[in-house]
Amino acid sequence: MKKGISSIVAGTLVLVFAVVGQAAGQPAAGCIVLKTVAEVEQPYTTDDGETAKRLVPAAKVVPGGEVVWTVTASNVCDKPAEKVAIDNPVPDHMRYVPDSAMGPGTDIAFSVDGRKFAPPGALTVSNADGSERTARAEEYSHIRWTFKNALQPGSVAFARFRAVVK
Amino acid sequence: MQNRWSAASAWGVVLLLMLGASDRSLAAGVPAGTDIQNTAVVNYSLRGTAQSTSSNTVSVTVAEILDVVVTLQSPTVSVSPGDTQQELVYRLTNTGNGPEAFLLTMTSTLSGDDFDPLPSVPAIYFDTDNSGDLSAADTPYVAGSNDPLLQPDAFVTVLIVNDIPAGLTSGNRGLSQLAAAARTGTGAPGTLYAGQGVGGTDAVVGTTGADGSVNGEYLVSDISVTAVKSQTVSDPFGGTRPVPGARITYQIVVAAAGTGTAAAAAFVDTIPASTTFVPASIQLNGTALTDAADVDVGTYVATPTPQVSVQLGDLTQASGPQTIRFAVTIN
Repeated sequence: MKKGISSIVAGTLVLVFAVVGQAAGQPAAGCIVLKTVAEVEQPYTTDDGETAKRLVPAAKVVPGGEVVWTVTASNVCDKPAEKVAIDNPVPDHMRYVPDSAMGPGTDIAFSVDGRKFAPPGALTVSNADGSERTARAEEYSHIRWTFKNALQPGSVAFARFRAVVK
Repeated sequence: MQNRWSAASAWGVVLLLMLGASDRSLAAGVPAGTDIQNTAVVNYSLRGTAQSTSSNTVSVTVAEILDVVVTLQSPTVSVSPGDTQQELVYRLTNTGNGPEAFLLTMTSTLSGDDFDPLPSVPAIYFDTDNSGDLSAADTPYVAGSNDPLLQPDAFVTVLIVNDIPAGLTSGNRGLSQLAAAARTGTGAPGTLYAGQGVGGTDAVVGTTGADGSVNGEYLVSDISVTAVKSQTVSDPFGGTRPVPGARITYQIVVAAAGTGTAAAAAFVDTIPASTTFVPASIQLNGTALTDAADVDVGTYVATPTPQVSVQLGDLTQASGPQTIRFAVTIN
C-alpha cells in the first residue's frame, strides 16, 4: 500500500516537470520551428597556422563581452509560409552592436519601443523639447527581419545580430 | 487616502532602485550572476491564416569580472629626517561586477629612489574616520582577517604609514607602494576561475589583471619661509612724519627657499596698538583683496584682536616671492 502511494507521487512529479519544461520555452507546435542560439567568437589557430575566429556556445559572458544571437526558422510543413517576420528584442542588460543585424533575403527594421518599426535612418525618437532626431543604434530595443519571399517547405531561414553585455 | 499614500511610497522605492541600477551599469557593468534571456518570435501566414510561434528561451549567465583600481590620493609628502608615522593616502576601488575581497600589501624597498622609508608597525590602516590622515580611530589592516570586501564600484580609503630614517639630506626621495589583489585570483586578462564567481558563476580576470599597485613619494625637505616687512609713512601734510592721522603702508614679502613644499602657508599680522586698519587696503601681489572672509584669500577681523591674514596656499621655491600690503592710520 505504501509503495503504491509513493509511485503515484513520483508520477505526479514527472508530470509537473514536463509542464514546466513546456512553459520554459519548448517550441510550440506549428509549421515554423524557431530556434535561438547564443554564441561567442573564439580565436583559434588553423591547421595552416593562421589565426581565425569561430563561434562557440556562450558558456560565460562578462560586461563588455559580445554575444552572437542566431535565430533559425525551419518550415516543417508541406505548405509554404508567407509574410514571414522574425521579431527579437535586444535582450535586457545588452546593447545592440551597430550594423550587426543580418539575414539573407530580409528587410531589417528596428524599434525603440517594440511598436513602431523602421529602417535605421528612418527611425526617430523624441527629444525632451518635443523635437525629433534619428535613433541611435544603442537605443534599439527590438529588431525585425521581414522575409521578402515565402519560406518553402523543408527550407531554413536565418537571422543574426550581435549585442554587448552592458 | 490610505491607498494614495501607499502608491506614492511604492513609486519612490521603484525610482531609487532604478537609479541604483543605472549607476552600477556605468562603471562595473551588469552584476555578476544576472541571467540574460532571449526569445525570438516568428509571425507568418499559412494559406492566409496568421500564425505565431516563439523560439526556445536562451539564458546566458553573466560571469564575475575581477577588476581593481588603486589610486594615490596624496601629493608628494614633505618630511624631515627622523619623522615618524608619515602617511600616504590611497583609494582602492572595486571596478568589477561582483562583491570581492582584496589582499593588501605594501613595500618600501623600491628602486628608483634615494632612500627606503621604514614601514611602521602596523603599516597599513583603513581611514575609518574618513579624516584623510592617520588618527586614533583608524583600524589597522590585518591580511586575511579584515581584507576589505567591496561591492561593485565601492571604494575604501587606505593609509600606508612609514617612518623616515635619520641622516638624510634635503632633496632625497623615498618611494612606498600599496598593492591590492583580488582574493578570488589574479592573472592575465581573461584568466578563468571556474565556478568561483558570485553564486557559483565563473570568475574572469578583467583588464586590470585583478590587481594594482601605485607608488607614493616622500621628499626630504629643508624648505624655509622668510618674511621681510617694511613700512612707508605719509602724513596729512604731505610729509613722512608718524603723527596722528598719518597713514602707514606695510609691505611684507614672503618667500620660500629650499626643497619641498610649505603646505598651506598663511600670513597673519596683528594691527599695531594705537593704529586703525584702513578698510579695503589688503593687496596680494598688487591685487586688491576684500576684508570679508569670503572667496578671496585675504581677511581682516576686528575682534578679538584686530589682525590681517592672507592664505598663501602651498609655497615652493618656484612660487617666487609673495608681496602683501595693507595700511593703517595712526590714532
